[in-house]
Order: sequence, then C-alpha cells, then structure tokens
Amino acid sequence: MKKRSWSVAATLAASAIIASGYGASAQDSFYAKAAAPYKGTTIRVLDEITPLQETLSKIVPEFEKETGIVVKWELLNHFEVINKGQADMLSGRGYYDAVMLHGFQVGPMLSAGVIRPVDDLVKNPKLANPKLDTADFIPKPYKTLAFANGKQLGFVNWNYNQIYWARADLLNDPTEKAAFKAKYGYDLAPAKTFKQMLDIAEFFTRKKGAMLAGKPLESDFYGVVLEGIKGGSTFGTLWRDFIQNYGGDIMDAEGHPTFNSPQVIEALKMWAALWKFAPPGIAEYSLVDVPTVMGKGIAAQTLAWSDFVLGVDKPGGSPYAGKFVYGPIPVKEGFKGGRFAEAEPSITVISTGSKHPEATFLFLEWLVDKKQQDKLVALGQGGVPIRETSWALPAIKGSSNKSLYAAMKSTLDVAAAKPRMPKFYEIYDALSGIAQEVGLGKLSPEDGAKKGQEAMLKLCTKCLM
Amino acid sequence: MTTVSDAVPVDMHGALPAPRERFWYPYLLIAPSMITLTVVSLIPFIYTVYLSLHAAKFGRVTEFIGVDNYIQLLTDGRFWNSIGIALVFVGIAVPIEFMLGLAGALVLNQQIRGRSILIPLLFMPTMMAPIVVGLLWKIMLAGSWGFISYNVLERFHLIGQTSVFASPDLALYALIFVDIWQWTPFMMLAFFAGLQALPLGPYRAAAVDGANGVQIFFNITLPMLTPLLVVIGLLRFIDAFKVFDTVFVLTGGGPGIATETPSILANKMTFEFWNIGEASALAVLVWIAFFAFCNIFYQVAKKRLNAF
Repeated sequence: MKKRSWSVAATLAASAIIASGYGASAQDSFYAKAAAPYKGTTIRVLDEITPLQETLSKIVPEFEKETGIVVKWELLNHFEVINKGQADMLSGRGYYDAVMLHGFQVGPMLSAGVIRPVDDLVKNPKLANPKLDTADFIPKPYKTLAFANGKQLGFVNWNYNQIYWARADLLNDPTEKAAFKAKYGYDLAPAKTFKQMLDIAEFFTRKKGAMLAGKPLESDFYGVVLEGIKGGSTFGTLWRDFIQNYGGDIMDAEGHPTFNSPQVIEALKMWAALWKFAPPGIAEYSLVDVPTVMGKGIAAQTLAWSDFVLGVDKPGGSPYAGKFVYGPIPVKEGFKGGRFAEAEPSITVISTGSKHPEATFLFLEWLVDKKQQDKLVALGQGGVPIRETSWALPAIKGSSNKSLYAAMKSTLDVAAAKPRMPKFYEIYDALSGIAQEVGLGKLSPEDGAKKGQEAMLKLCTKCLM
Repeated sequence: MTTVSDAVPVDMHGALPAPRERFWYPYLLIAPSMITLTVVSLIPFIYTVYLSLHAAKFGRVTEFIGVDNYIQLLTDGRFWNSIGIALVFVGIAVPIEFMLGLAGALVLNQQIRGRSILIPLLFMPTMMAPIVVGLLWKIMLAGSWGFISYNVLERFHLIGQTSVFASPDLALYALIFVDIWQWTPFMMLAFFAGLQALPLGPYRAAAVDGANGVQIFFNITLPMLTPLLVVIGLLRFIDAFKVFDTVFVLTGGGPGIATETPSILANKMTFEFWNIGEASALAVLVWIAFFAFCNIFYQVAKKRLNAF
C-alpha cells in the first residue's frame, strides 16, 4: 500500500512538473531571453543511448520551443558514440557542436586540444544562468570531471556508476541461508567485502540438476558474473572496484606506474578467484552482457552499471524483476582506507570545431538545469541523479527499489572521473588484456602485475597530464 | 596446317587511327582505370608513407620524425606477435583450404549427381558478408549458450568450463576453422572452373596410352592447372594475412593479444590509440613484406612451375 501511494505521488509529481514546463511562459525564461540572438540556429549534439537518454529525448524538444534554437540530438550506442564523437572532434570538422565524453575520454581529448573550455561562456552574464546552482551537483564527480588545468570544460551530464547487484530471493531463501551459515560460519547477506563475495560465488555455483532454493536447476548456475571482455569497462572494474579497494592503484599521485605493488597483486588474486565461479564465456562478456545474464537468472551476483539495472529490474524487464538487491561496491576485509567505486561521470563538451558555441552552451546549461533534471527523474520514474536534490524527489525517495538508490548514492559519494592520462587508451588496452589473462588463469597474479608494470613503463614513466 | 600467331595484327581495313593517333590510343583506353587506380590507391599509399614518417597523434600531423615510427614498431613485441599470429593463421588455414578445395573440385569434376544444386549451395559461405559469418559463428560457439558449444562441445565434455573464443589456447584455432569454413568452397569452385576449362585432347591421348588416374592427375591435370592454383593460392594467402572482419567480430584480437593480427593491431592503433603515424608505418611495412614476397613468389612460380 505504501509503495503504491508513493508511486501515485511520483506520477502526480511527474505530471505536475511536465504540465508546469509546458504551461510556463517560454518568453519569460532566462533561456528564452539569452537565446534570442541565436534563434533559428541549428546545433548538433551527440550523446549515448541508454534508458536515461531515451527519457531525456522526450524533454529536449522543450528547449527548441523555449529558445527557438534547433537541436539535432543524435543518440548512438556506447562504442559508436566514442568512435564517432572522437573522430569528429579530432577531425576539426565540427559536424557536432557538442559531444558526450565519458570521463576516461577527457584526458586524451584534452591532450589533443579539441575540447573548447567554457570559462568565457560561464563568465558571460548574457549566457550564464545565475540560477543554475552548480553547488547542487553531486560534488566529487562534477569537480573531478568538469575542470582541468584550471579551466572549466562543461558540467556533469551523466553519473554512470557501478553497484553491487545480487539475487535477493536466493540470499533470503531459508534453506540456502542455513546451508551457507553451516559452511562459512556467518549469515548469508549481500556481500560487503570481497571475501564474502567470493564465498557467495563459490556457494551458489552449481551444476544443472542440482537444487537451488528448493528447485532443480535446468542449466548450470554461476556464483558471479563480471564483465571480462577486452576493452569495455573490464579494466575499470578491476582498477576502481578491486585494486583501489585493496589499497592499491595503477599509479601514484605523480603518475608513476605502481601496477606491481602487493596491493595490486592481492586484488588480482581475488579477481582471478572470482572468475572461477563465473560463466565460461566471461572473457567475452561486455557491460551489456552482464545485466543480461543477471536478468536471465543464471548468476547470483555481480558488479554492474546501475543504469542498466533500470532496464532489467522493472516489470517486463526480467522474470526476476523485484527479486534483486543492491549494495555498495565491496571492499577488502578490514580495509581502512577510503572507499572507492567504479564510475564514469560523463560530460557533454563543446568541440573546438563548433560554429555555434554560445547556442550550444545554452543547451548544455539547460540540460543540467534543476528543472530539466527533476523532469528527467520524474519521467523516468527514477534514474541516476547528477544533483544532490534529486535524491529527495518522489520517484527516487519513494521508489520501491530503495536498495538500488542507496547503492547508487554510496558509489556517487566517492565516484571520481578517471585521472587525465594522455595515453589512457594504450594503458587501458594493455592492462585489460592482462586482466583477461589473469582471470583466465593464463597469467599468475604476480606475473600479471609484473607484466602490467612493464607495459605501463613502456608507455609512460609519468602517466598523468 | 594453318596457324594463327597472336602477334599478327588483325587487318581492320581502315578502322585503325592514323599513326600519330595510334600512339595515344592504348593510353586513352587504359586512362580511366589508371586515373581511378591513382586516385583510390596510389595517392592514399603515398600519403600513408608520408604519415609514417611524421608524428601523427590524434589525427594531427606534426613534425617529420624520419623512421622513428618504424623503429618503434620493429622494437614492439606486440607487432611481432601480430605477425606471428597472421603467419600461423595463414600457415594453417590456406594449405587446408587449398587441399580441401582441390580435392572437392576433383570430386565435383566427376559427373556426380546433384552437382547443379551443390554448386550454388557451396557458394553460400563465400557469399556471406564477413560480419554475418562472424555473428553466425558467435552464435554457434558462444560460451555456455552457443549452439555447438552448448549442444556438442560441453555436453560431450570436449571442452569444459570454457568458451572457445575466450580461451587463449583455442580462439586462434576457432578463427582458422571459421576461415576454412568460409573460403574452402571458394577455392573448390575456382579450381572446379579451372578443371572444366582444361582441353580434352591430352586426356584422350592419355586414355589411349593406358595411363591410370594418378598418372593423369600428376602428369596432365596438375601441370595444366598450375597457373590457376598459383594465382588462387597467392590471392588467398594475401587475403588471409590481412584478415580483419571475422576476427574483429569474434574476438576483437583477444583474449589478451592471442588473436591480434596486423590488421586488428593497425585498426586499434588508428581508431583507439589515434596513433596514426605508427599505424601507417605498420601498413607500409606489411606492404613492403607483401611486395617482396609476391615478387619472389612470381619469379619462382614463373621459372620453376612455369605458371605465368
């Protein structure tokens, strides 16, 4: 009953917000006045397609109505948006006025000099909305993403983040709980440490025909699934979720490679141990496959991108919708350092090739404005916030999926953009290959750490910008 | 007995242009193809050589750096790994395709029943777009759910708890298998066409002389077919060495760098690392290697096999 009343409230709030958006006098808005000189201008913006952007696409036409600026808003998948966006920026052609960059793309694009800083636009009273309230942006992702070398690159547009995701129905099953406690000596619950995650992975890995929560399995069941493909975010997961939560890092504060540290080796050992309880095709699994595997109910737990959860844990999204539980990224047992989590705060930047930077800037401001962000959350019946105040919106605060938003918040509290590394792609490629080889048992963690360190040193002795 | 030599020009009875115009006439005829070749092949190649001698990161061509890109590449273990992968790929796939293709062509050349249905069917793998071939075999051999991997390999414990394309030990051989599946029918049909075009005279003479099948094959069929075998073999060798699309779809060069061919590495250098100078150097080095190989191959085939 309580859930239903929240859902009704959220729907009413969404309707009210949308109605207020259409009903407001467009001519009176800041954006309408600021955009007057640019009326009729056409801007092209490239963004990624996820459930979040699909929702946003319903709001974008309002900007056109409000300002008279025409927005050609193109959405492409993860890999295409990276390739096509970067290619356009690097060509200097400026077909796209603005391009969405994941945090990891910012370093290489900055070193290529193709991002137009927005400091002059932010300081221009005719273009900068005084009520934008940037202090409301979730601080760490925004501050680590939107600024570089003393210059502002834009705002924060998307706060992609990873969370711990498990099958609540299995973790709460009385038979499984009792068997787990008898075997491991503590209660079965969502993993808070990697040791617990490994125990859960081992416990739930079962063959076809074995019993799982009182029912015989029709196919093999796996204790864990992780992204393992070369490229994608495999190495990001290993780096930010595992290595950093074991107290290590791939480089020190100066940018000197530290991939052969004892902490990295320890994290690689856990990484390899978990792969033993994952589906055989793990080295082919991309960030899209992991939620699919969870949605099909063939794995007990994972570390995955929370925005994909929104497409799976909903009626019709999976037969197991409503049977999941979420939590913060586990850490090493007894780890006293600061918590870390893989996240990819992403930013839409103005390309140096843009012929309409002012009109584009107005659109970027409008996108991250509280009014639009509130609409986005309301229309999407939730989402991944970029503003602190969004946590209090009915669609999130009143969501039946409380553990999902608590997990998201725990990640976003510590989420930072990737450090700016001119050779990020080369480093990432080398280390993600090692992550695969260690996971597959072709390299020992010690040898993997040694090989990774050598690969990094070959690419850069000081890897930061 | 009347003979007609190729060298004797056919009398066109006034159809030939005047001598001065006759000089330009052949050039005029080949001009469109030469212009096309120059625009789409020669100019890009010259530009690639130019890029390979310059620092060209993120698509920005900066200073001239001589052969630095080449040195960087030749001292990179990853480059040699990719060459090694390509050689293993070519060394296994092409001879198998060649032998299976020739054997299949000889069978087809017998008046077997249903040949008219079989031949179009044999064309199917070759006619498929590489992306389709990649997806097809991804579905067949995907870990835990692939049609073959789940129903055959795992069920009969031929490979346990692993995915073919995710295994550093198996991935390359799986790619070789896919290449053989795709290209053997092409070889078969090309050789079959060659067999069909052979003159019947020598076979009749051999029959009169009482030669057996093996003698006919080695003394008549093989020598007459050699030019075709050499050309098709060479084309397949070059094509297989440059393999990109199926590898890109099925393994992306992984796991690790276990299936990273020079084409995959060049693609990665260009579109992931944006190191266009080094990628151009790779392209030029591979071209030089092919140029040298093809020349040697041509000379050997011409002198020893009388193929050209």
